[in-house]
Order: sequence, then structure tokens, then C-alpha cells
Amino acid sequence: MVKNNLVAAYLLLVGMPVLGLLGILEAGRGIPAPPSISGDWALEFDPAAPCANGPASLRQPALSISQSGTEALITMNDGHATTLEATIDGTTLTAKWLTASIAGKLGARTLEGKMHFDGCAPVAFRAVRQAPKKRGE
Amino acid sequence: MLDLFHLVLQIAVILVAARLVGFLFQKIHQPQVMGEMVAGILLGPSLLGWLAPGVSAALFPPASLSYLNALSQVGLVVFMFVVGLALNPSDLHGYGHAAVLTSHVSIVAPFCLGGLTALYLYPRLSDDGVTFTGFALFMGAAMSITAFPVLARILTERGLLRSRMGTMAIACAAVDDVTGWCILAYIVVLVRVTHAARPAWVTIAGSLAYVLIMVFVVRRILPAFEREFRKRDRLSDNLVAVIVVLVLVSALATEWLGIHLLFGAFLMGAIMPKTPEFTHYLLHKFESVTVVLLLPLFFAFTGLRTRIGVGGGRAIWFYSAIVIVVAITGKLGGSMFAARLAGMPWREAASLGILMNTRGLMELVILNIGLDIGVISPAMFSIMVLMALVTTFMTTPLLEWVYPTRLLRAQMDEVHKNVA
Repeated sequence: MVKNNLVAAYLLLVGMPVLGLLGILEAGRGIPAPPSISGDWALEFDPAAPCANGPASLRQPALSISQSGTEALITMNDGHATTLEATIDGTTLTAKWLTASIAGKLGARTLEGKMHFDGCAPVAFRAVRQAPKKRGE
Repeated sequence: MLDLFHLVLQIAVILVAARLVGFLFQKIHQPQVMGEMVAGILLGPSLLGWLAPGVSAALFPPASLSYLNALSQVGLVVFMFVVGLALNPSDLHGYGHAAVLTSHVSIVAPFCLGGLTALYLYPRLSDDGVTFTGFALFMGAAMSITAFPVLARILTERGLLRSRMGTMAIACAAVDDVTGWCILAYIVVLVRVTHAARPAWVTIAGSLAYVLIMVFVVRRILPAFEREFRKRDRLSDNLVAVIVVLVLVSALATEWLGIHLLFGAFLMGAIMPKTPEFTHYLLHKFESVTVVLLLPLFFAFTGLRTRIGVGGGRAIWFYSAIVIVVAITGKLGGSMFAARLAGMPWREAASLGILMNTRGLMELVILNIGLDIGVISPAMFSIMVLMALVTTFMTTPLLEWVYPTRLLRAQMDEVHKNVA
């Protein structure tokens, strides 16, 4: 009798939740997530624009992005590791002096937008994500 | 280039902080390891980097962290071997259906609630570089883990190790640990296969072949170490070195297969001979350097990656509260309910639930793996670290409240009188 009760409890407390988990995994497949932009990015500026080289101290890969969902932290490779807090709304990335649209599929993602430097008109740029580093590099 | 001055300075600062905070936590009846975990967080951006960013940047320049990480990973490899070594299948004998039910519910309940929470958190804290399945399974695995070593330490300190509830907790935690690591291995393969150059079938078939070789070939060779130990009451340094090499080779095999270094180290420990004297000897050999020197480095490295309360605004605190409530409800509530259904009195069932809710350092190990393979974001990592700290911290006071020491002693005395 006790054994039968334990079998029933097992089915109820283990079997049913496992089925529920399968349902959750199925339901979650359709949930959209923000586009992935974390990693290192190489910047290209419009050569015809003023300040086309960006700040002289900026070196490639110029941006490093650490992303948590719709929030991101952009670190500039400018020798001071200047950081900018950014938000992602749909396919638009917005930070204090940077606005960009996120384009392309996951493996070939690009950023296209404008950057604001002191004393210059907004400069158009295009950024290409670099291959991810291997662990430990 | 290796900056030896920085590395040695970092190790010294981390060890001082770990021992100091560990000592303070012992004064408030918390396990030493809890204080060491908190010391790691305090050295990171959550406190030192926030209060004194200049000092933090000078002490932990980003370029120097790879060496600290390498050292802490070596420490973890040895630690996971020790965890596997401490696991004893005989712990599970004699508990029958009640232990099976309780341990399985203590995994399934938090796992499902973790998956359910993922429905809400995935669009907010993840990105399309991670599949929902990978994210949800990782959340589930991270919610369902129990810190076997911390739990054993708490039970020993409170004299509960040989009580019915204590032995049941050890049995359930052992099942949880093995199951949790198997699930995590699957998730790592699932996530890495999408980015790896190696075909999935190589990883899956290779992992299967590796486990079979370890269990049916290597495990039969290992008793030779135990026989040598019985002859001389010790192992020569050469034999200890051979064991270390076996651990490293096993770790390298799982890393090469695309699972993770730590699985190989854990399995090597799990298949070692389990006679108490031999296990105790090896634990003594490996534990001191790992626990005193290398684990605090891992805690500090974890702390440097954790940004509690930095960025994200109020939403992060809201997500943290959700994760903590879900983790406690699933693990504590699930284990308690199952133990009660299996016939344990309410007080013991509640104590068992509280003990199973201890996540401690095992959670940090899993979270670091998750962050390394990119299945969780930095914010999710910080939230889960906070959850690990809260659930570990609450264990001792909650246990004292539900099962006071005076009551426990009175019951133990009663048992001794009846036996006499």
C-alpha cells in the first residue's frame, strides 16, 4: 500500500513536472530575444566625412560589447577603456554618443549608425563583429 | 607577459581577505566557505571596484586576470576530483523509495520552476545567440544543484551527519550532484556543438566511450593504489603524482571531447576506491592546498566577474528577487514536500529541504561554466551568484530555527538511552 502510494507520488511529483518541462521548452521556442551583439567589433568610418578616422587613440577592434539582454556595456579600445551604457530596443542600439541599427544574421552581424565626437559633426560608421575568442585567450 | 609581481600580490590580498571574512562569518555561525565566497564578491566591482575604482584597477588590471583564472581553474580541477572522491555510492544503500522520491523531486521541482522562470527572463536577460532550450535547461540545472561539500560540512558541525535526516540529506545530495552534472554535461554539449568545428556525433559517441572506459577499465585498475596504501599505510609521492596525472588526463579528455575539464576530474574522483581510510588519506592530501590556496582564487575570480547592483537599475533587483524566490520554493519546498510524503515528520522534512537548498560553491562552479560558454549573460550570472549566496547564507540560521540544537541533542540522548 505504502509502495503504491510512493509510486503514485513519484508519477505526480516527478512524471508530471517532466511533462510540464517539455511543454515549457516547446512554448519557449517562439519567444524572441534581443539580437546578440556581444563581442569585439572592428569599426570602419565613412572616409568622406570629417573626423573620418575617429579619435586618433581608437585602435581595432575598436569596440568591445558585453551584453545582458536589452542592456549592454560598450568599452572603447581608446587606451582609457572608456565605457558607455547602452540599450537595445528592437534592432536599435543607443548609447550616450552612439546610435546604430543592428543588421544581419547571427553569424554575420553588423552595426551601422552614427558616432558623435567632440568638435565634429556625427560620423557615419559600420562595425563588423570579430570571430569570438576561444576560452582562455 | 606574465606580471609575477601583480599575480603574487593578488594571491596575497585574496588569501588575507578570504581568511579574514571567513573568520568573521564563523563568528556568526556560518561555514568558513560562505565567508570566502563573500570575500571574493567584496574584492570585485560590487564593492572594491565601486568604492575605490583606482585601487581595484591597480590591483586587478584586466590583462593580469587570465593568470588568476588559470590558477583558479587548476584549483577547481583538483576540487572536483575531491568532490567526486567524497561521493560514496554506499551512502544511497538502505534508503529505498523514500530517498529516490525525495532526491528526484528535489531536482525536478526546481528544474521545472527554473524553466518556467526562463520564459520570463529569456527575452529580458538573454539574446538570440543562445537558444531558449539551452537557456531554460541551464536555469533549471543551476536551480536544482546542491552543494554537497558545504552540506556535509554543515551536518558535521551540527553533529547531524549520522542522524536519519543527515544521512538522507547526504544520500539525496549525492544523487543531485551526479544528476546535476550529467544534465550540465548535456547542456554544455548542446551549446558548444552549435559553435564547434567537431561534429556532434563525435562529442556524443566520444563521451559515451569515455564514460564506459572510465567505469569498466580504469575503475578496475585503481584498486592497485588502495592495495599499495594498505601495505605501507601511505602512498609514495610518485604514486600520488600518478593519481594527479590520471586526474589531469581525464580532465583533458572531457575538455577535448567538448564537455568541460571539470567533468573528467569529477568522474575520476567518483570511480576511485571508496574504503574510508584510503578516501580520508587522499582527501587529506588534496584538500588542504585546494581549500586554503586555490579555491579562494576561484571565489575572487568569480567576484571580479560579478556586478551585484552595478547597472541595470531596479529591474535587476526585481529579477534577482524572482530568481531567489523561485530557487527557494523549488528546492526547499520541493524537497520538504517530497520528504513529508515519503513519511518523514514535518520538522525533519523541513530541515531536509533547508539543507538541500544549500547551493554554495557548486553553484558558483556551474555559473562560471555557463558564463564561459555564453549560455548566460553577465547580468544573469550576477543574479544567480546573489541567489547562491542568499540560499547558502540562510541554511544555518533557518536550520537552527526549525531544528534547534537543544532539541537535536535531547533526541540524540533519547536514542542513546533506548539503545543502552
